[in-house]
Amino acid sequence: MKHLRWIIGLLAILALVAAACGGNDDDDTGAPAPDAAPTEAPVDDMADDMGDDSMDDSMDDDMDDDMGADDMADDMGDDSMDDSMADDMGDDSMDDSMDDDMDDADAEPVATEEPEVDPCANVDLEATDIGITSDTITVLVMADVGSPLAPGLFQGSIDGVKAWADHVNAEGGLACRQIEVLEHDSAINPTETTNGFLVACEEAFALVGTTALFALDTTDLQTCSDAHGNDIGVPDFAYITTEPPHQCSVVTFATSRPNSACPYAGSGPRTVQSQVGHVQWLQENINPDLNGVYLIPNDLPSTISSSMPQVRSFQEIGVVIDGEPGISGFTTQSEYGAFIQIMRDSNSNFAYSGSDDQSMIKWRSEAEAQGFDAESAIWMCQLACYTPSFLEAGDVIEGTYTWIWFLPFHETEHNQELADFMEAIDNPFPPAWAAGSWADGVLFEQVVNDIVAESGPNAVTRQAVLDSARGLTSFDVNGWWGPADYSTTQNIMPCFMLMQVQNNEFVRVYPESPGELDCNADNVVELTLDWLEEFGG
Amino acid sequence: MILGLRPPVAFAALLAGVAAVVIAIFNWKGAPVTSETFLVTTYIGLFLGALWAMYATGLVVVYTTTGVFNFAQGAIGVFSAFLYWELHVNRGWHSILALFVVVAMFAPALGVLLDVVIMRRLRTASLVVQLMVTVAIMVLLLSVVGDIWEADTPRRVPYLFGIENGIDLGPSQLPWHRLIVFLVAIAIAVAMRFLLRRTRIGTAMRAVVDNRELAALNGARPNVVSSTSWALGSMLGALGGILIAPELGLDPATLNNVVIIAFAAAAFGALRNLPMAVVGAMLIGLLRAHTGAWLDFGPDYRFAHLAVAPLILLFVVIALPQARLEVGRLAHHLRRHERYTKWWEGLIGCGVVILLAVAFSGGWLDFGVWDPGAWGSRELNSANEAMAFALIGLSLVPLIGWAGQINFAPLAFAGFGAFVYLKLAGDTGNGYWIIVVGLLCAPLGALVALPAARLRGLYLALMTMAFAQAMSLIFFPHSWVMPTIGVGRQFPHIELFGVTFDDRRGFFLVMVSVFAIFVYGLVLLRRSRYGRRWMAINDSQAAAATLGVPVVWTKVVVYAVSASMAGIAGVFWATVSGNVDSVQGFDLLIGFNIVLLVAAAGVSIPMAGIFLIFIPLFTGLGHRLEDAGNVGYLVTLLDIMTTYGPGLMVLGMVFNPRGAIFEMGRGFAPILPWRSDARAEIAAENAQKREPEIGELGIERPFTPEEVIAIDRRLGILDDVVPKEGYGTSRS
Repeated sequence: MKHLRWIIGLLAILALVAAACGGNDDDDTGAPAPDAAPTEAPVDDMADDMGDDSMDDSMDDDMDDDMGADDMADDMGDDSMDDSMADDMGDDSMDDSMDDDMDDADAEPVATEEPEVDPCANVDLEATDIGITSDTITVLVMADVGSPLAPGLFQGSIDGVKAWADHVNAEGGLACRQIEVLEHDSAINPTETTNGFLVACEEAFALVGTTALFALDTTDLQTCSDAHGNDIGVPDFAYITTEPPHQCSVVTFATSRPNSACPYAGSGPRTVQSQVGHVQWLQENINPDLNGVYLIPNDLPSTISSSMPQVRSFQEIGVVIDGEPGISGFTTQSEYGAFIQIMRDSNSNFAYSGSDDQSMIKWRSEAEAQGFDAESAIWMCQLACYTPSFLEAGDVIEGTYTWIWFLPFHETEHNQELADFMEAIDNPFPPAWAAGSWADGVLFEQVVNDIVAESGPNAVTRQAVLDSARGLTSFDVNGWWGPADYSTTQNIMPCFMLMQVQNNEFVRVYPESPGELDCNADNVVELTLDWLEEFGG
Repeated sequence: MILGLRPPVAFAALLAGVAAVVIAIFNWKGAPVTSETFLVTTYIGLFLGALWAMYATGLVVVYTTTGVFNFAQGAIGVFSAFLYWELHVNRGWHSILALFVVVAMFAPALGVLLDVVIMRRLRTASLVVQLMVTVAIMVLLLSVVGDIWEADTPRRVPYLFGIENGIDLGPSQLPWHRLIVFLVAIAIAVAMRFLLRRTRIGTAMRAVVDNRELAALNGARPNVVSSTSWALGSMLGALGGILIAPELGLDPATLNNVVIIAFAAAAFGALRNLPMAVVGAMLIGLLRAHTGAWLDFGPDYRFAHLAVAPLILLFVVIALPQARLEVGRLAHHLRRHERYTKWWEGLIGCGVVILLAVAFSGGWLDFGVWDPGAWGSRELNSANEAMAFALIGLSLVPLIGWAGQINFAPLAFAGFGAFVYLKLAGDTGNGYWIIVVGLLCAPLGALVALPAARLRGLYLALMTMAFAQAMSLIFFPHSWVMPTIGVGRQFPHIELFGVTFDDRRGFFLVMVSVFAIFVYGLVLLRRSRYGRRWMAINDSQAAAATLGVPVVWTKVVVYAVSASMAGIAGVFWATVSGNVDSVQGFDLLIGFNIVLLVAAAGVSIPMAGIFLIFIPLFTGLGHRLEDAGNVGYLVTLLDIMTTYGPGLMVLGMVFNPRGAIFEMGRGFAPILPWRSDARAEIAAENAQKREPEIGELGIERPFTPEEVIAIDRRLGILDDVVPKEGYGTSRS
């Protein structure tokens, strides 16, 4: 009797399971679920699925091989592109001429192009795809905001996109329509990030300003169906792409370029380009024999993989690395004392943090606590230190160098786009991700405007946006940022500008003239290594 | 005895020492060992140890004087550090004034409040409830901090005594701040030991925790004493938080995690010995500083130096003799009066769950804005994740609910299951391997059960917590265990019976079916010989052993069953996620939340696991309401419920220790025609006269007539003819 109960129970459950799983309920939602298997398919297959020759020809090859500037110029073939820019791209390298371009941008701030003929006139606007109606284009901004332990983390991204949308709408809209912004909180959580992709797929035309750290599974992003039932994915104009699946997503265009080759299996050697111009400047102008310590943020494999190329690139240009210790958010300030000891033992004159502003503050504070002569070393960190909270640390961070790849926020007089951003964002020192998300919006705007200029406002579909973005070989946020090549994930923005904290302010050091970036091609070093294995620990 | 240690402990210590030397040799960084570097590293280690000693001292004081191990000690420190920042940095108060307000006014007030509102009601609660409630307080305090101070904004708390100047140590220096903190930590430990051992209030504190009523008869005032204890513990937590904050920055999660190091230090002192707790903290500080300075662990073991504390905690809890635990609490255990669910009742219940799930995902029912069928992929994706967590939560029912074996490591078992599946099934998604996963996870459970066999209560909780932390810092981040991938899914969609479950509705139903099978299996198991044995060892190991129950073997089996269930659940969880985040995915706090919610639902009820899907349902409803517009207050309400709900539900255990599902069942049962027992029970309860509170046994005031009656009734000398109004009252 006892065994009979078990058997009956099991059989009944199995029968229910079989009954329950018998049908496919996809049709209920009205939006077909991605039932194809391009998830596991290589990029080639995805491109084939998209049925797009240009994708096959340029995207695949470009992903695998380094794309020459000539090829870029050929691929551009787009009348809407600025002629001077096309000429520049035709050069053998992106060299000093970029500087000239940036100068030109100073002299005459670049604004969003106004078409000579109103493309909206006499056009019966249509709902051309999911998220686009005759009146509106709906974009979704997804950012890590609502984690209980770090609420508001990337709220700046949402603010940036909303400010951009308000600005564009005030100027008359995009593709003859008003922009509506949906928000999704990815909550520093992989599941909520996937949920964001799903919402975008069903309700938005594109993702703009994505700032989600845990985009680990981009299957839904890349295989989402458009209004015609084609599994082409949702265009994703992201700011941050930290994880390889997001970096290598064929529908993602990140304004903070991944600088890394795609496709990538997730382990093993990977070709990566790194910016070294700022350190070269130090070598040329302050100390040619730099030796020092580089701090590697080691909380995630992706943070290690993004830092190690820079360390090896510094070595490539002659910097001696005395130590490359890993640090995490749990590293106490006093534990930075070990790094100070390395600097003492090695007579280091260079200290570089690949982590955030708080890390650099701890490092410099500990140096002070240990009586280390701060003047004996050059202290440097990257964009993460370009924050008001870094300046709040006071005298202890005096003299720290910081480099960024766009014009600093206070140079509004030298770029109209920057001026528009600062006016719209209403924050004297906004977070960098607000700037990044605004840049995403401008990128989306340019791509859509190109389509409208070429084929009219009813040609704006997800497929058209993807095609247009994949062919974009140079975009510079209307002169605010350095130009970037979106036809490949590998190419880095070669531009930088250097600042130093002086009297509790970020002061431009190089290039000296406001409104300028150094975009010399020599600023870039390309290496192929297994970056995770390079990390000592 | 070898060097004062029992031979097994001495042997274990020797083994650990040899292992440490081998690890050091193989991971030697190669940096030059100079006397200066050694000196600086040592003082850094001692300073860190002093900070952690302060937390540990607070833990030991509260535990020694109240019998409650306060998991919220770190969160009290976090809250206090933020409050100090608000007063000192944001509002410009002088540091000493701000310190005084926070440490001498706010912290003791918080401690007293916790005692009066919550802790006094836990006096007779089981250890599970006590621990869960302190974990809930931790989660709530951290959530409040996040909401008040927007914890994402980087903030610095200045050093109390400055850090620029100090004692010259050659090329280096020892800042005054660190020297003072070190001395203060030692002084506090000495003062606390003096207080507990040499003063009347200290003696009363220890007496109250041993036997509250006896202590009261001897003149102690238990309520005052316990409030004093909580106030003291809270003050030490606040001071620790304020002093650690400049070292770590004001980040709630980071600051709170420090408490795990304090747990290890406290365990080093067997939770009661203050000097040894301080020594433990110093030892951990020195180990951490020196491993950081001299050893490289490579990318796969990059968190190894952070794992020093949990590993020490694991070792100490397993190796050291146990202190006396749960003193005087056995007599207050709640009488077990759950009935066994009949096999056909379980079957009907599981069928109902599946039908509801089908209705939810298939759109068979239309509730307007509640219409689950109209919900899209986003809601289904969240529901899938919640269902996977529900499966993991279900694995706790036999272990915690029935056998009373506290386990804070459900995610470690689940992650191990995912890892085994990854290695077996690779990228095929072959679902048949899940059965093998279940079989292979059982030995891991049994392995954990072996040290657990001699542990009970709090030590077991600490051991499983240390195990979970060690797994999340050492095992899961290893690239071979959870390799990162660049394209597609790490865990492909499961294929079973020739069907690939790549559609979310179908997979949801599969998981619901597995849940139902597990629940039904547990219903039958509970009625079986093993189920009765598990409950017997929960009630009394000694009694169970006397009756011939093989205690160790019974524990091994229940751990194996639980690990097996969690492992299978882990496969579903990983498959829902697609790609598992090997670092944050196994965070201890997530595991805590699972245990919390199951406990709040009623950890002895199999259906309690289903409680875990309510949170995403609320979230999904919030999204829908948001889309519908004009219901901002409802969205806010749901947001609050999602953020604070789990913690508040667990706090509800103070009043309802058996959990929400249990109470719902009690309310529902009488309407079932065949449950005459439930109707009789309710009737008996209604008829029973509620006894008045006896208070503090007449020490503070004379007994009232009602109290005299209650005491007589308790002593069994009350004659039924005595009027209910009490002696000396007239019947008019």
